[in-house]
Amino acid sequence: MSVLSAALLALPLIAAPYAAAQAVPNGYPADYAKTIDAAKKEGKLVIYSSTDQASATPLLDDFKKEYPFANVEYQDIGTSQLYSRFLAEAAAGSPSADLLWSSAMDLQVKLAADGYALTYASPESKNFAPENSYQNMAFGTTLEPAALIYNKRLVKAGDLPATHAAFAKLLSGGKLSGKLATWDPEKSGVGFTLMEYDNQSNKDFGAVSQGLGKAQAGLYSSTGAMLEKVVSGEALYGYNIIGSYALLRQQTVPDLGMKFWKDGTIAFQRVAFINKNAKAPNTAKLFLDYLLSRRGQLVMANKALIYSLRSDVAGKATRTTLTQQVGGAANLKIIAVDKRLLDNLVPATRNAFLDIWRKNVKGQ
Amino acid sequence: MTAQPSKASTPGVVRPPLPLGWWLLMAAVGLAVLSPLLLLLWQSLLNNPFFAPVKTVGVSAYTQVLSDPAFWRAFGNSGVLALAMIFIAVPLGALLAFLVTKTDLPFAKVFEVLLLTPIFVSPIVLGVGFIVSLGPSGFVSAWFKALFHLDAAPWSVYTLPAIALIAGLTHVPYVYLYVSTTMKNLDASLEEAARLSGAGVWKVMTAVTLPLVRPALVYSAMLMLLLGFEIFGLPLVLGDARGVDVITTYLYRLTAITGVPAYGPMAVVAMILICMALVIVFMQRFLTRTSGSYVSLGSKGYRAERLKLGGLRWPLALIISAYLLYAVVTPMAGVLLRSLVRSWGPGVNLFSALTLANYQSIFSTPDLARSVLNTLMVALVGGAAAVAVYLFVALGIQRAPKGVSRTLDYLAGLPRAVPGLIMGLALFWLFIFVPVLKPIRPTLLSIAIAYTIVWMPYGVRLITAALGQVSRDLEEAARISGATATGAFVRATLPVLRPGLIAAWLLIFMQFVREYSSGVYLLSPGTEVLGAQIVQLWSTGAVDAIAALSSLQIIIIVAVYAIATRIGVRPG
Repeated sequence: MSVLSAALLALPLIAAPYAAAQAVPNGYPADYAKTIDAAKKEGKLVIYSSTDQASATPLLDDFKKEYPFANVEYQDIGTSQLYSRFLAEAAAGSPSADLLWSSAMDLQVKLAADGYALTYASPESKNFAPENSYQNMAFGTTLEPAALIYNKRLVKAGDLPATHAAFAKLLSGGKLSGKLATWDPEKSGVGFTLMEYDNQSNKDFGAVSQGLGKAQAGLYSSTGAMLEKVVSGEALYGYNIIGSYALLRQQTVPDLGMKFWKDGTIAFQRVAFINKNAKAPNTAKLFLDYLLSRRGQLVMANKALIYSLRSDVAGKATRTTLTQQVGGAANLKIIAVDKRLLDNLVPATRNAFLDIWRKNVKGQ
Repeated sequence: MTAQPSKASTPGVVRPPLPLGWWLLMAAVGLAVLSPLLLLLWQSLLNNPFFAPVKTVGVSAYTQVLSDPAFWRAFGNSGVLALAMIFIAVPLGALLAFLVTKTDLPFAKVFEVLLLTPIFVSPIVLGVGFIVSLGPSGFVSAWFKALFHLDAAPWSVYTLPAIALIAGLTHVPYVYLYVSTTMKNLDASLEEAARLSGAGVWKVMTAVTLPLVRPALVYSAMLMLLLGFEIFGLPLVLGDARGVDVITTYLYRLTAITGVPAYGPMAVVAMILICMALVIVFMQRFLTRTSGSYVSLGSKGYRAERLKLGGLRWPLALIISAYLLYAVVTPMAGVLLRSLVRSWGPGVNLFSALTLANYQSIFSTPDLARSVLNTLMVALVGGAAAVAVYLFVALGIQRAPKGVSRTLDYLAGLPRAVPGLIMGLALFWLFIFVPVLKPIRPTLLSIAIAYTIVWMPYGVRLITAALGQVSRDLEEAARISGATATGAFVRATLPVLRPGLIAAWLLIFMQFVREYSSGVYLLSPGTEVLGAQIVQLWSTGAVDAIAALSSLQIIIIVAVYAIATRIGVRPG
């Protein structure tokens, strides 16, 4: 990260009003002090998360500043392992996470629906839309737009497609053969969620997916692989890449371009919930509220470079900047944290989409 | 537990009742190996997680996997990889072992060090290295294109044949290690005799040396077959884009198709691989059933002069250099280069992209920094303990009465057959559901135990090969002069075996530093290890950190290797 951007990122923190540690945050009910006091008596807060420790560190550090007594144990693991671990630990009654924070929206909502989540009326809820939480159990915390990434050395800005339809045409043109990278929804859970929602909300998905097939797009199961392909120029474009990861990589690789669609950009949310049997439920509440708070979202947007979900946050990766980039709120299509996600875990529904995918992309 | 080296297996002697020591050994190994496997067997027959309140028993998971064409495609691809590994790695590894240990090949020392490097490196990283150097945007490809004015490099690293070739070539060191350990211990008088009777270098190799090390050749071929079906990192990185699935990457498909982790079908895949492993161990036992007659390092072993290669000396050195350049230097350079730049590919000026930031960011992230230390602990201390365990098992296989010996041989051959991710999950289940194991789970001990179990087939065969070379004459002599069985072993055999054991420790150390998939579920804050961190980082995109971490991995192993060589330990 350059010195300049580091200095810019530090600004909001310096400018943030000094909050006396352990005081009830502004706008919270007075009895929140009870939660804080109870948290002081708890042991360490254990978090399982699919967010890299490197990205989470600014959040954890700032959380410690707000609640210096809190002792946080942060464990980053893959989404699928996170689910498996928690489920087995809950069944065995062995120590597990107090708070789970993962990009696998469907698995998080499933755990909540299956009764593993604590019901909690967060004082931050009033700042969020109904689509951002599920029954006061599972809470959307971030905005994860799917971007078209490209290699600036090899793609001229003028050649960039403006709409999905234009992209589909470009794909079918025959010049991009083997130069595309995208998710393999048959191998990645997050990839499935994105592609399936893309199909629901984007009328040109059929044409785009057929184009991906014609261009013999490489299908990947990890963001790491796709970013690497586009950075090196092996692929010119990456389709439906998680925007926050790409934004983070842009800090060190200026050749990496990122563009959001103006005819509909899809986005998911990283979902957090508190374990119903948490050992440190009060500290977990503090952390959840912190993630949802203006202060937490400010750190996300400016230091962790994860797009903030709140619209009252200014900075680099925010809902506001994103809304501008996609050309208005109507074009930002966010996957809601709700029961519909569970349909994705029904084999028949799942296969219905995978059949379309296989037909369009693989000609099967 | 003390293994009681008994004379029970001496032919023609009435067998005394089975000593308690063997029973204990068999029970311990059986418990360690079979409990995760039986748990998987049970899971393979259930429609829900075994810990779920509602579940039914049936074979639906078997039907699902066996009727899935994608499974058979993956199975076929794994078979191709395994065969390529046998037919490339075994002949090449044996030939290299012979040339380095027995002949006057120039630069033999340098070749040996280079040759071993691929086993220092996580296969995920090796894959990244091949992409950075030989991939469509790779720097070697770029030179080649510029040199011959081509639009694209005339090769691909993403097809099945390419992955098979790479897998074969990068597994040469495993065979080299097995075979050269054995060759160095050979009593050279037989080769000397052949040479004095006028046999040329090749005649000595094919008629004397190779037949003498036949058990090691068989072991390494069987190990290649086992590892071929377990291989994960290379196909994950190289086969992803073009949909070249193998058994281990097919597991991802299983999970993503149902949306939730599909434990049943995963366990079924494990069962199929266990059946294969049983067949493999059976074949190995059949092919080495007469290995007792090959004992050749005794009290009287001596070393002869190196064989003269004559006119072939330099051409051979050149061919070996070409192999090393392709299979070792190029991907290693790729990894190192990737760890030092922010961006790469055509159009990037690598000099201006140079940076140390990738390393700095590791040391500013507490869990990554801690994982370097933890990995060293697990590999050094856990590795030493593992060698002790493997020694007992190997002694049991060599010396226990037939039934125990055979059981141990089969048990020890099983764990590596199960893909590390599934084995790691099964071990994790045991650690949280078995009350006595619960306190161990959040400690490094759980990772050391998991690694010891997972690498048992490799370690036990390594030590069996060394043990097979030690004549028991000395020990018999000690027994006759009144030593106890244990005393005779400790004083007569162990000193001769010690270099072999220390070498085994070094090799196990390297495997433990590199191991990645079986630790993924056992990580907890404070017990992070490098290999598993790399898997996690791969999914979120931090290839910068991966390259830097693995360069550190290489540095750790090379440093330990250098120290070990300095103090007189030789890996072969």
